[in-house]
Amino acid sequence: MYATQRNKLIGLLYLAPAVLFVLVFTAYPLSQMLWMSLHNWSIIEPAKWVGFGNYVKAWNDRQFWTSLGFTLKYTLLLTPILMVGGYLLALLVSRNTPLRKFTRAVTFVPVVIGLGVSSLLWYWLFNYNFGLVNRFLVDLGIIARPLVWFGEDADRALWAVIVSIVWKVLGFGMLLYVAAIQGIHPETTEAAMVDGASYWQRIRMITLPLTYRTILLVTLVSVIGSLLAFDQFYLMTAGQPFNRTATSVFWIYLNSFPYLKLGYGAALSLILALIILACTIVQMTLTRRSHA
Amino acid sequence: MKLKFGAGLFALSALAVSLMTSAPSKAADLVMWERSGGNKGMVDILVNMWNEKNPDRHINLTYIPHAEMVAKLAQAIASGDVPDLMGMDLIYGPQFEKAGQLVDVTDQIAKLPEMKTISPGHLKVATWEGKLYGVPLYADVSALFYNKDLFAKAGLDPNKPPTSLKQLREYADKITALGGDIKGYYLPGSCAGCNIFTVGPLIWASGGKIESAGPGDEPLTGDIKPVLQWLRDMVKSGNVHESDRAENGETFHLQFGSGKVGMMGTGNFNISLARDQNPSMKFGIALLPGMAENSAASFIGGDLLVIPKGSKRVSDAVDFMKFLISDEVQVEGYAKALNLTTRSDMVDNKYFKAEPLVQDVAKALSVGRTPYTTTFFEQINSPQGPWLQMLQRVYYTDDDLDQIIADAKAAMKAIADQ
Amino acid sequence: MSAGVAFARDLTRPTAPTLAARLWRSRSTYLAGAVCMAVSAVMLAPLVLSVSASLKTTEEASAIPPTYLTHLLSLSSYGRLWAYQEGLPTYLFNSGAVAFLAIAFCLILSIPAGYALARFPIPGREFFFVFLLLALIIPYQALLTPIFFMFASLKLTNTLVGLAIVHTTIQLPFSVYIMRNSFEAVPRELEEAAFIDGCSTWQVLLRILLPAIRAAIVTVALFAFITSWNEFLGALVMMNKGTAFTLPLILSNARQETSIGGTDWGMLQAGITISIVPCVLFYLLLQKYYVSGFLSGAVK
Repeated sequence: MYATQRNKLIGLLYLAPAVLFVLVFTAYPLSQMLWMSLHNWSIIEPAKWVGFGNYVKAWNDRQFWTSLGFTLKYTLLLTPILMVGGYLLALLVSRNTPLRKFTRAVTFVPVVIGLGVSSLLWYWLFNYNFGLVNRFLVDLGIIARPLVWFGEDADRALWAVIVSIVWKVLGFGMLLYVAAIQGIHPETTEAAMVDGASYWQRIRMITLPLTYRTILLVTLVSVIGSLLAFDQFYLMTAGQPFNRTATSVFWIYLNSFPYLKLGYGAALSLILALIILACTIVQMTLTRRSHA
Repeated sequence: MKLKFGAGLFALSALAVSLMTSAPSKAADLVMWERSGGNKGMVDILVNMWNEKNPDRHINLTYIPHAEMVAKLAQAIASGDVPDLMGMDLIYGPQFEKAGQLVDVTDQIAKLPEMKTISPGHLKVATWEGKLYGVPLYADVSALFYNKDLFAKAGLDPNKPPTSLKQLREYADKITALGGDIKGYYLPGSCAGCNIFTVGPLIWASGGKIESAGPGDEPLTGDIKPVLQWLRDMVKSGNVHESDRAENGETFHLQFGSGKVGMMGTGNFNISLARDQNPSMKFGIALLPGMAENSAASFIGGDLLVIPKGSKRVSDAVDFMKFLISDEVQVEGYAKALNLTTRSDMVDNKYFKAEPLVQDVAKALSVGRTPYTTTFFEQINSPQGPWLQMLQRVYYTDDDLDQIIADAKAAMKAIADQ
Repeated sequence: MSAGVAFARDLTRPTAPTLAARLWRSRSTYLAGAVCMAVSAVMLAPLVLSVSASLKTTEEASAIPPTYLTHLLSLSSYGRLWAYQEGLPTYLFNSGAVAFLAIAFCLILSIPAGYALARFPIPGREFFFVFLLLALIIPYQALLTPIFFMFASLKLTNTLVGLAIVHTTIQLPFSVYIMRNSFEAVPRELEEAAFIDGCSTWQVLLRILLPAIRAAIVTVALFAFITSWNEFLGALVMMNKGTAFTLPLILSNARQETSIGGTDWGMLQAGITISIVPCVLFYLLLQKYYVSGFLSGAVK
């Protein structure tokens, strides 16, 4: 009923506002970023053409590689935790009992508060002197003295941040998984039960395959989000120690704002965007192949 | 449906309201920016004093998050939407002066008699190629605070603070030996600014130089290695608490007042803070020493009052500058609030007389200096920069000191050479 | 169905479980219940502790070691936050107005776009869809400076509308995605009937489809609100006048608030609590709407 010539035009009209908006406020600044990346520009001094100089600089920049490596490490650690943890949690709460509904609701609350607020909250909890994590661990006898979470050991800081992010976003994946699990026809599971399949066999043979698309979606969102991580590291670790916990976007931010090296920051952004694009394409190809 | 209609109506009215931009201010108001995380109390007092005297030229003050101040200022100047006057961390002076982003006030201010005794550190960074661009807004200076109670307990003479790094170490050992959570000294592990403020002078007093002023200027020259060795030994010998490592500046001002630190490099602002925190603690102030006996140095910090290019109220801003350096404001503004006067000839006033500690800390002005470079943030103040990295390696690793110095030199040079 | 099939089904129905199996199942039910409660506790604990800390007296807030819950109730932290510079009401208003505008912009743009992408035979439809999702892979921090200069020449800096546009830029891809999926999930029978009756696409959109995707609208609104209410860097870049600041900027100042850059923990907690409250309220009140919106919109 929609397939008329006139509707082609009408459709374009409906689409136009959003497309125009993105053209003006995303695509145009993006093209300016491209221009910026080919120059050295500190705002207070006129821009200087450097061609691909900024890109070469990135290749030789040790901090660029450190940040990229750290960002990948963070992504590779966080994503499985969110996938597996979120899925297990979803299996736990997928039935519609009052307790489970309550758990679902409560687990989603951290998702709706801001990332900055959540980071500040955990920054406080992990503080050496004033934080309750240290107090809790000492009270339980797990550690003898308070630990310095941020600024001393890069891995310890990383895990503290991971804890805070898992707390914050677990509910998001959980909810999507619950939706997918509830979308499986009950007869399918019943038939499996009749066939004598155990709980875990049912999960493996039925639930997982039928919720595959959701799993991939959540993974994709999680990976992109981790590759673009910034706020939590800016607020909690400030990139310390020795800049080992500075993510790629953190390094972009430093160059674009305090250091006033906007050309370099723009080049770094474009490089990162390409990397993310590549990851996305890889993931989507894997999706299509396994589905076929 | 009603919900949608109501929502739509609300949205339209909100749109209408918001199109009227932000709250209206009187056309004659002066717009002033100041960075957050500085001496807010003092700046508020000064602005209030001016506003009382000048109701028709009311200053409207906004505090900008300081980590982004430089970028915001740059953007403001480039877009033409600048404040009429602003307070700026003084070490950024050279960077903006070099780029021609500040208004030259040489003719109006430089020859005034009050400027003869103005803080030398501020004067230096407010000057570029012989021209003057600002006056001090407030001054901080670093000194060695020492806990007289702990001195007495450790068997040291409470009226004889150490006069060399070697002596400092001996005293610290004795105080740390008191045990418990008491330590002889304090070294912040994650705060670049705290370190340049309180450890920089130790290097200067020993004859070393730190920053690179610009392309071609060699950083980290002079006899630095012994000082770094001294710092490393202080940490290794347990004279500083392990929690110092996490200090990123946010609780720096609370450390001395806790009463658990024997000696500490900190600033004049700590006098009233320590008093509030720990009223019964007796403490004294000395100069930060160097390797040699009786050598001393200090970091003069604080803010400058400058006029950004494109300001439409230059003459009013210049009047504010004259206001700041006037006799009356020096005494009734700065001294009354027990802040340093920015003119050394005003140190002798009734408020300071009642408060000898402030006079002691004011002595640091005479051996004080301020780094001069156009890339201060990236080289030194940035938590991700080479200065903090160098110190962290010195404090917490066993890396070879020559290597550490060489690496930091290379990094700072690379930054300065851009 | 024939009696034969029914009989066969009866034969294959699972038989009554043995006592052991029943005991095992009830034990795992209790275990599951316990885990649920533990998870809920872990999720709620940090929030409860934060709110409790915001109600501590100043002395207790800076005590070492810290106390878990407050012993005395004190609103001094809120008092300091309330009176801070231009006053909390100003910042709340700014944050709220910007969020409201961002929601409006997102909906106004993404609803028609979602409709178009789901139903209309637009040439290059998939291309447009991917184009609209473009902003997702670009670190928006780097886009802020070009946008700032664009806004400076358009006189949009320091305005609530300007900041709302920035927030919409960040939130639009997600909104379009949700909207398109929701529209696709609506069965077409309703529209068929309307078209036969001679309705235009606009009438169909307004009268039939909008109510059908109510859940998606609430979802988009909720997430647009959360993004806008909590956004910091864009607000910092766009706003120069203190009177235009939003709540996250003030929180950032709280970290350097006590003289010479120390953290005012109590005020920070108060700020965190105030930032959290509207988001949680929004979520709880509209929970039933957007949960289903999520489910229909995101999962296909």
